[in-house]
Amino acid sequence: MRGIFLLLLSMKLFSFELLVIGDKNFPEENLTIEEVRAIFLDKKRFINEKKILVMNHETNHPLRRCFEETILEKTERSLERYWRKAYYQGKRPPKVVSSMEMLFLYLNSIHPTIGYSDVNATLNQEVRVLYRVECLEI
Amino acid sequence: MKHLIIFFIVLYSTILWADEENTYGWNVPNSSLNIGGYLDMTYDEKREDKFLFNDIAILFSANQNRFDFLGEVELSHVSLDGKSNSSTDIDLNIERLQLGYALSDEQHIQLGRFNSDIGYWNQSPITILQDTTTTPHMVGNFFPKATTGVLFHQHLNEENSFSLTFQNNKDMAHQDNTIQVEKHKALAYYGVDEDLSWRFSFGEYQEDKHKKARYLGVGSEYDGEDFSLQVELFTQQTNHNDEKPYSGYVQSTWHFKENQDAVVRFESYRDNELEVKEQIYLLGYAYRPTNNIAIKGEYIYHSELPLNRFVYSLSVLF
Repeated sequence: MRGIFLLLLSMKLFSFELLVIGDKNFPEENLTIEEVRAIFLDKKRFINEKKILVMNHETNHPLRRCFEETILEKTERSLERYWRKAYYQGKRPPKVVSSMEMLFLYLNSIHPTIGYSDVNATLNQEVRVLYRVECLEI
Repeated sequence: MKHLIIFFIVLYSTILWADEENTYGWNVPNSSLNIGGYLDMTYDEKREDKFLFNDIAILFSANQNRFDFLGEVELSHVSLDGKSNSSTDIDLNIERLQLGYALSDEQHIQLGRFNSDIGYWNQSPITILQDTTTTPHMVGNFFPKATTGVLFHQHLNEENSFSLTFQNNKDMAHQDNTIQVEKHKALAYYGVDEDLSWRFSFGEYQEDKHKKARYLGVGSEYDGEDFSLQVELFTQQTNHNDEKPYSGYVQSTWHFKENQDAVVRFESYRDNELEVKEQIYLLGYAYRPTNNIAIKGEYIYHSELPLNRFVYSLSVLF
């Protein structure tokens, strides 16, 4: 019993929450996981008649690893395969930002924009939380 | 020699271009235009030109609001043995030239020349995107690979979609080895549930005033983390005595290492136009050192035709 408690505690200590966020005027209050997946895989491109700007983090960013595993439910390899084929069909992957500051710069200036962040980074930002998921820190 | 030098320049620049972000091509600054391309070089024991640039193509795409544009211009069959010295040996072709408009997230319409929305292979018909260098017999023999006309695509929900194809004019591209049609009508359905998907399509085409054909195809694919399995079956009827009663294959790809795949394919077809009924067995290996490069080798065994051979290819997406 104590072991299970310690295991749960350690999982809590080594986990963080990932937030899928939109700009403050994003037309939806929240999104389903299927909608988030469709937007990030360039299958859903518009919301309320407006084209969505989609932002991603760099390949080795811990948030990106969690996002790809828990939301897209794809490995790096299957995403590579996906985007190779998608490129041939004229689709493009999301834009990559190199920092949180850059993400919030886009979120504050272009509407509608969507990206993802951890909770702490959003504390002083005017953003709309569209979906949240728990990630284990590796 | 000249062709070899060009080849290595292109290859070197594409290796430099390779990065880890799954981005290809070059984005023209301050525009939505992207210019890229692909090339593949093959070595085929049974071909007269053993070393051949099968394809060198330029891809250009752009999208603005609800419009999207896609072009693919291909330079084909450049011999690396130095046999294609004459410019007439080189084949320049418009593979795709299509203008699309998104009516909504669920509906999309496109005009121009595009890959027919039929079967699995035709959605990504270039070597770099495939697990093998050679293609099953049905590809290019049972339905038109390309259509010059209109394609309407409708998503029914996240998992199901269908498309309608219509052509009633001459093909925009010039004659090549594939079926070229003046009329083409088709309906295709595509469904997906996690790693499993399935396709169903049927259509009718007319090559000239005299020859009409109807085709029907079904297929399914399991695309898992460690292996994929693909199966397709097509049949074709014509108003001549050259129908193709069936062509089917089962292909499995085992992703046994991060960048390496092993492929097996069993194929069976009967083609009254070629007067052939045979089985084909394929055993292949593919290595992808980076996202945009594939090196493949395969052995193909034909039960009837004298085409047993090794085929190797190097393909690059840039």
